[in-house]
Amino acid sequence: MDRDTLTAVVEAILLTASGPVTVLAVSETIDDPEVGEEDIGAVFEAFRENMDRSDSGLRLEKVAGGWRCTTPPSLDPYLRTFHGIAARQRLSQAALEVLAIVAHRQPVTLPEINFIRGANSASVVRTLLERGLLRVAGRKKVVGKPFLYRTSKEFLVHFGLERAEDLPDPEDLVKDDTAAVD
Amino acid sequence: MSSWFLVLSYGRRPGTRLDRRVTTQNSKLAFDRTPVYSPAMMMIAEEPQGPPVELSVFSGPLDLLLHLIKQNEVSIYDIPIFSICDQYNAHLKAMQELDLDIAGDFLWMASWLLHLKSKMLLPQVVEGGEDPREELVERLLAYRRVKELASFLHDSDLVRRCLWPVEIAADVGAGEEVELDWEDIDLRILAQTYLDVMQRFAASRPPPLEVLALRYRVEDKMKDIYDLVRSDGLVPLLRHLNSRSDPVEVATVMVAALELVRLRGVFADQQRPFAEIYLRPGDRALDAQELLLRGESGG
Repeated sequence: MDRDTLTAVVEAILLTASGPVTVLAVSETIDDPEVGEEDIGAVFEAFRENMDRSDSGLRLEKVAGGWRCTTPPSLDPYLRTFHGIAARQRLSQAALEVLAIVAHRQPVTLPEINFIRGANSASVVRTLLERGLLRVAGRKKVVGKPFLYRTSKEFLVHFGLERAEDLPDPEDLVKDDTAAVD
Repeated sequence: MSSWFLVLSYGRRPGTRLDRRVTTQNSKLAFDRTPVYSPAMMMIAEEPQGPPVELSVFSGPLDLLLHLIKQNEVSIYDIPIFSICDQYNAHLKAMQELDLDIAGDFLWMASWLLHLKSKMLLPQVVEGGEDPREELVERLLAYRRVKELASFLHDSDLVRRCLWPVEIAADVGAGEEVELDWEDIDLRILAQTYLDVMQRFAASRPPPLEVLALRYRVEDKMKDIYDLVRSDGLVPLLRHLNSRSDPVEVATVMVAALELVRLRGVFADQQRPFAEIYLRPGDRALDAQELLLRGESGG
């Protein structure tokens, strides 16, 4: 497969895929021993550099272990006006706290989340499950067999992370905060 | 000693010497006045009435506590429990006045603070003993880390939700099964799939129609009632029906009675609507054969 075809195939897959596209998935699709994964990765990188211009309405980002095509955030007002969307649903403070706890300590159970937050979080967890930001990952082998929760792929995509471990260490955030106050 | 209670006298002026009296009365704790602390505890300069409580939305009791600690500019490792407890209760009160729905979590924290406050009142038996506030401090520190991470996520969310995924709606044949990644499958999806399958299964196999064996026969009931009327002379039909528990039997008896009336074997009298219906012997005598035949044709 020549370079031009490879570029075209990657572009077509990127635009029609419904989630992040992994290099492995493209490699399996092409099924050509001459095209290595690093070649495909290079094509993605080239796309990203190409799109990162002020006169382009597209951006490419590496997220949740794959590549995804989006619009730049600066264009949001125009897109919302065009699509007639007044305001997007925000994540509540409680929801953000639950996400922070799960992201940092996963897998984690509801009682553990409740304890750390000092408040009942059952309804928040349910909402986050429905929004697909959390997922159930089995049950803990303790009395009552509570569900174990993990963050989902959707969570990584929404917050632009490659892996959950890429989140900053809360300790560092606290240190930064106190340093700024002093 | 155990039956003795320590009561703090509450001075109106900050700085008044601590006056500890020992009394057998139940201790009275006033929340709305500023208590005077022992020198070891931090003083919070505060008007006796307290500043107007500023209400914002707190995501939980720990959130409110952190807010109070920040507002008072005190160290998280040396929380002035007395003052913080009072301010916490003032907040709860204000929330109640505004008719905000206070979750039990807030009340639970209020009771914990009171508990700590009472513990702080007791003289330390052993020097260097465990600080009763230790657990609270640990919880607050853990929660503060969560709050920091949540605020990071919040900032990230602000920018990230302005991104629009670019996706040309590819028409992947509606009927075709879309493969799910292992990552995307969780117990909820499995449970939902199971429910869907079971629903399809139930829909394809409706439960068989249940035909109950005939437990009561009209002819038997006709004979029973006829014999009863013959021997008693006057039978209250409604009371007879009400004493049956099985609706099928009630219906059978009712049909039997109507059939007997039609055959003029019995007469039915009712004084007014909904009153008791009395059966009395009719003007025709029915033999067993007739009862059986009529019963079969009527049933």
